[in-house]
Amino acid sequence: MKLVVYILKRLGLMLISLFMIVTITFFLMRSIPGDPLSHMARSLPEQTRANFMARYGLDQPLFNQYLIYLRNLAQGDLGESLAFPGRSVTETIGRTSPVSAQGGGIALAIGLVIGTVLGIIAALFRNRLPDYIVMIIAILGVTVPVFVIAPLLQLVFAVRLGWLPTFGWGTPRHMVMPVMVMAFLPIATYARYMKSSMLDTLGQDYILTAQSKGVSETNVILKHALRNSLLPAITILSGSIVGIFTGAFVVESIFSIPGIGTHFVTSIHNNDYTMIMGTTVFFAVLFVVMQFVVDFIYVLVDPRIKLMHETH
Amino acid sequence: MKKQRTLSFLFVALLALVVFAACNTNNNDNAAVDVPDAGTSAQDNQAQTNDIGEGALDTVQFLNLALGEEPRSIDASLTSEAVGGTILTNIREPLTRIIPLYPESGYMFEPAGARSWESNADGTVWTFHLNNNYWEDGVPVTAHDYVFSMRRTVAPETGAPLSFMLAPLLHFDEVNAGELPLESLGVRAIDDMTLEISLTSPVPFFMNLTTDRVMMPQREDIIALHGERYGSGGEFTIANGPFRIESWNQQSSIVLVRNEHYWDSDNVRLDTVTFHIMTDATTRHHAFEAGEIDIVAVTTRQWRDHFYGMSGVIPTVGVPTQTITYAFFNTDDELFQNENIRRAFMIAIDRVELNEVAFDGFRIPTYGWIVPSISVGEYNFREHAGDPIRELQANHPDPRELLIQGMQELGLGDDPSTLNVTFNLAGTDEWFRTLGEYLQQIYSVNLGVNMQINFAEWGIFFDNVQNGNFQIGFMGWGAFFNEPFDVLNIFMSETNAVHTGWANAEFDELINRAMVELDEWERLQLYIQAERILIYDEAAVMPLATTTLNSFRRDFVRGVRPSTFGDAVLKYHYTSGRP
Repeated sequence: MKLVVYILKRLGLMLISLFMIVTITFFLMRSIPGDPLSHMARSLPEQTRANFMARYGLDQPLFNQYLIYLRNLAQGDLGESLAFPGRSVTETIGRTSPVSAQGGGIALAIGLVIGTVLGIIAALFRNRLPDYIVMIIAILGVTVPVFVIAPLLQLVFAVRLGWLPTFGWGTPRHMVMPVMVMAFLPIATYARYMKSSMLDTLGQDYILTAQSKGVSETNVILKHALRNSLLPAITILSGSIVGIFTGAFVVESIFSIPGIGTHFVTSIHNNDYTMIMGTTVFFAVLFVVMQFVVDFIYVLVDPRIKLMHETH
Repeated sequence: MKKQRTLSFLFVALLALVVFAACNTNNNDNAAVDVPDAGTSAQDNQAQTNDIGEGALDTVQFLNLALGEEPRSIDASLTSEAVGGTILTNIREPLTRIIPLYPESGYMFEPAGARSWESNADGTVWTFHLNNNYWEDGVPVTAHDYVFSMRRTVAPETGAPLSFMLAPLLHFDEVNAGELPLESLGVRAIDDMTLEISLTSPVPFFMNLTTDRVMMPQREDIIALHGERYGSGGEFTIANGPFRIESWNQQSSIVLVRNEHYWDSDNVRLDTVTFHIMTDATTRHHAFEAGEIDIVAVTTRQWRDHFYGMSGVIPTVGVPTQTITYAFFNTDDELFQNENIRRAFMIAIDRVELNEVAFDGFRIPTYGWIVPSISVGEYNFREHAGDPIRELQANHPDPRELLIQGMQELGLGDDPSTLNVTFNLAGTDEWFRTLGEYLQQIYSVNLGVNMQINFAEWGIFFDNVQNGNFQIGFMGWGAFFNEPFDVLNIFMSETNAVHTGWANAEFDELINRAMVELDEWERLQLYIQAERILIYDEAAVMPLATTTLNSFRRDFVRGVRPSTFGDAVLKYHYTSGRP
């Protein structure tokens, strides 16, 4: 019963968050200079402009437009893109987000595993050669921009060696380079988190207790240290998952991947209001849901955490 | 930084919509700030050398090309950008196609949707006799399809961004405003194969419109069938041009195949054309080098030099576009209200040096408002009009004297270093930084002015310009078609499309006369006088350079026709000797 109440409460809070995000985004977005015709970079005749605005209901008072948007949103209708006439925002998100999820998901999984392993290695070999190597990789991973790594890979694997296609999507061969590029950052991020978290855990009393009881070093690490060290990694996981969609713009652009990243960025430059709102709603829902899920994972991993405060 | 580049759009060939804010970012010459990079690649499909030579045709005829952006739509009434135009010109047959007369300058109109045409004596009624052409489903193309298409574009509820292109048509204003029924528009089908277009007044350059998307036919039943989705995907359209859409994988590729029902299908040699949608310039260059695309546009010296060194590659470089890079003054500004101050700023720039320093040597230094690619009929404008800016520079070797003269007229003393001048640029990346620093330095050395540079994103820049909140701005402007009127009328006092606030009755009068002058030589003289007032006398705007098209193609790509205002159609392309 308590669990049901808790879930309902969380759902209510999520809805309030979403409402606030939608409202703030709607009015912020409309304060950006320009309009959906700005891309033409020319002063259009008044009548041409007026007809366009009327077609999309942009001639209405702003607050009315907001109410209309809320009403449509409540019915699950995200509207038609202003930059891409005839394309529904819902369909566009439905078509592009699985592509981003596929590439980004594989990259994140690889990054998570390799990063975690590297972080543990770095912690166990602290201040020795393996630690230095891992930390160099980690620093490179967060500092070298994607638009440097990606063309470099293209030059080597596509232009010089001819092993892989330069661009495109659809087959495993197309995925190799983008996944390598996208896995680089999570490897670096999780290696650093795991290292510090592991070091922290290894300094805890219960580890000393286990070691003094004669538990083998392997068991100490696997059974006692690892599970507790994963907590910080889980904390940033929800951000990483959302980042698959929001952060892939550059990689998707370089490798011509038909993902959602481009809409997230270009819709703002295009003043494509419905697409801006649509992607925002999509990411916001994804984010609050992920946080909800992560809170549950905490409970599974860390027995100290309870969903609700027990009243004593 | 990558984002901005992808955002810029480029104008490609032909009557595609253009206008760029002229800022080219490194990977994106010709590009505009606001709309991004489509340009570069949209041009990929049109190299410009004239080598309609013979060679054994390859048995399998295909091309792989790059398209710099996902087309927003291929609804001829709703697209306004270059890439949409590139697809449309290949799947739809306009009334005529424009072809360059090479190596001479100038252009001619060749039959396409129309096999012949004539006008009445005063040029207000045009009659087009249609070719026996068919849609891809075998249905004949009729005059009604053209009538329907133009009415749809003008109908207020369509909200067509390019509807104003049809403004010369009789009753356009009233129909576009919803005051008269669609049937009143000056276009009708005399019979299935005869189309009549009536104009409000004679328009000397009317034929240029017949190549444009706004005059391409559309099928009423197909639009009714697909509704809102019409034009948003490969299955939601229908072709009557040299090619039809086989598939359109959004954000990935558009595959065109030969349209067997096309009237001139026997002369179309390519079986398949694949446009890969590639927004990143470096990727396009890599893909060309790896052999994945057959033609690539370049916008930086580094890549141009790189491809020059490659074997099996044919360059086509330095072809002038119809886009001018320019700076413009706010003539309502307390300082730039004075024409001598404007003239001083205009002539203080060495355009050759500017081109080398800021434009990578990729543009053509330009000394008048009309770019070198524009002509009046057979008369190339620039060749006949001379170079007003050079003349002014010769007459005033020290621009500082002109500046001080202007300052004294305004009672501002004679020390240029006391002036507050801000130059507005529509971009914030390195390309604009270089340009800004150069301008700052050149005005300091040549005029003694301590100038500020204001860098802003396109939206903010354009907002400031529209609100008159600037002194000098920097942009690009592309002509829709090959006629000086197209780029001069924007300075008429009622239009003020460049936001200079400049108005000149004599200029207005000259343009109004040119607009109805059917004699090409007379019209040319009127344009020359008008440009002279605009530039030499008044310096309302400061032309700097003409952008160019630069591309490389594999040597097996043949049948490529030169093109500036030419058509980006792939009708005549073929390959010979593809490995």
